[in-house]
Amino acid sequence: MELIVDGQPVPARPSDTVGAALLRTGRLHWRRDLAGSPRGMFCGIGTCFDCTLTVDGNPGVRACLTRVHPGMSVETSDGSR
Amino acid sequence: MTGNSYDVAVIGAGPAGLSAARTAAAAGARTICVDRYAAPGGQYYRQPADGTGGTATQRHGRALADAAWAAGAEYLPSTNVWSVSGGLRLEIIGDGRRGVIDCRAIVVASGAHERVAPFPGWTLPGVFTAGGLQALLKSCDLAVGPRVVLAGTGPLLPVVAASLARHGVRVSAVLEANRLLRRALRRPLPTLITLSGQPGRLAEAARASVSLGVRRSRLRTGWAVVAAHGQAQVQAATIARLDARSRPIPGTERMIECDAIGIHFGLVPATDLYQLLGAALEYRPDLGGQVPVLSATMQTSVPGVFGAGDGTGVGGAQLATLQGEIAGQAAAACAGGTGFPVGALTGRKRRALANAARFRGLYGELYGLPAGLDELIDASTLICRCENVSRADIDQALARGARTAASVKSLSRCGMGSCQGAMCGPVLASLVAAHPGEGRDQRGPLTARPPLQPIPIASLLGEAP
Repeated sequence: MELIVDGQPVPARPSDTVGAALLRTGRLHWRRDLAGSPRGMFCGIGTCFDCTLTVDGNPGVRACLTRVHPGMSVETSDGSR
Repeated sequence: MTGNSYDVAVIGAGPAGLSAARTAAAAGARTICVDRYAAPGGQYYRQPADGTGGTATQRHGRALADAAWAAGAEYLPSTNVWSVSGGLRLEIIGDGRRGVIDCRAIVVASGAHERVAPFPGWTLPGVFTAGGLQALLKSCDLAVGPRVVLAGTGPLLPVVAASLARHGVRVSAVLEANRLLRRALRRPLPTLITLSGQPGRLAEAARASVSLGVRRSRLRTGWAVVAAHGQAQVQAATIARLDARSRPIPGTERMIECDAIGIHFGLVPATDLYQLLGAALEYRPDLGGQVPVLSATMQTSVPGVFGAGDGTGVGGAQLATLQGEIAGQAAAACAGGTGFPVGALTGRKRRALANAARFRGLYGELYGLPAGLDELIDASTLICRCENVSRADIDQALARGARTAASVKSLSRCGMGSCQGAMCGPVLASLVAAHPGEGRDQRGPLTARPPLQPIPIASLLGEAP
């Protein structure tokens, strides 16, 4: 299936999490911390909140916990949480 | 807003939670199992991507879950408990929608998370926890790579290394900070006796050794990653040998190119829910940190609140399953207004509990926290990943007279971010305890306050997400 990440199609397997789908494309980071430094996934189990992004308009969603669905809209952010 | 009444609510669907749900339901209690994740199994029994097949361990986990649902327990996945109100009312949120669960008894089985140890470059994308790499492998069939360095301390390191290696990842180094053989030989006979009671663990260790051995990825003891390097993501790691006090030995550093680093320094029980429920905690470094005070039948200091699994003290899946069985029975009895005396525990259960206690002792002897690695944390290294609080910020708070982790938190914002101190809490406690001066040996947890995770304000206002 495909996700739309920042307006671009990204392939995903049906059982992927959003984080796994991004990592699978070789992308290791999709967020900026308070200092503007890149962040991606760290703990992988939903405890650290490094991997958050906006899914279907909802901000602060943990990419490592969220299963994909076809046509899911994902926005990555710079500077916000 | 949905609401429902149950006899027993179990929080967590790992080995402890699933066992508790099964025995509570089997005892006739109306039982619900609330799970943060989309599928049952917790960490140890993480299921394969499509929910079928997998290793024998994964199939065993599926059987545990099936047994719980067959006994009549309900399953509520992708749902977080964010607060507790009015005694035993759980405030939950799933898919942006709020709900409440009223119950007569609760079993908290929300497990533990990995302990992390900061080092320069540890916030670079590409640095994961070893358990996180394992979760990606198990749940999404994704092996991060192609070249990975694993470092820290604990039996999880070679297990994750072997899993990655079997998926074709080049495991450039597996670095165990503790000199295991030296530590094991301090008390050889007790060590042998304890290990002889752990056939499952020995088999897993043997399998991992073979997988690593045939691919020439040797585990080195007395080594650590001391820095990660890269522009926007990990490109290399500096590793070094450690002295007897686990401090890096100058001159032994070398750089390895890599694409990812997996770190692991043991497990820390999650206590936030116990705090909200008012359960008494105690500091037990042998069990991973702050743990709830429990009776022999898994009851906390609060009537109606029970605990089971790694969240009560790190002990592994078998112990968690056993504790869950007991907690589920005790919770069901409590919900039904009857007691569950210690005498109800079978001899088999008592022996298994004693066996587990022995192994915990050995684990602590072999895989003690390498305190010397705190020296790696230079002034600009972040302690709090969420709020970007550096070591220098912490030191400044301590210099201003802060004597507890709580007051350092107030001054620096360390622990105030989204993760609520899950990552930085143990490190902060260690730095506070190590700082010279009176009254600084404070081991208390950072105070948990609702919401336990960030929740959308729209959900509180009753608006559609």
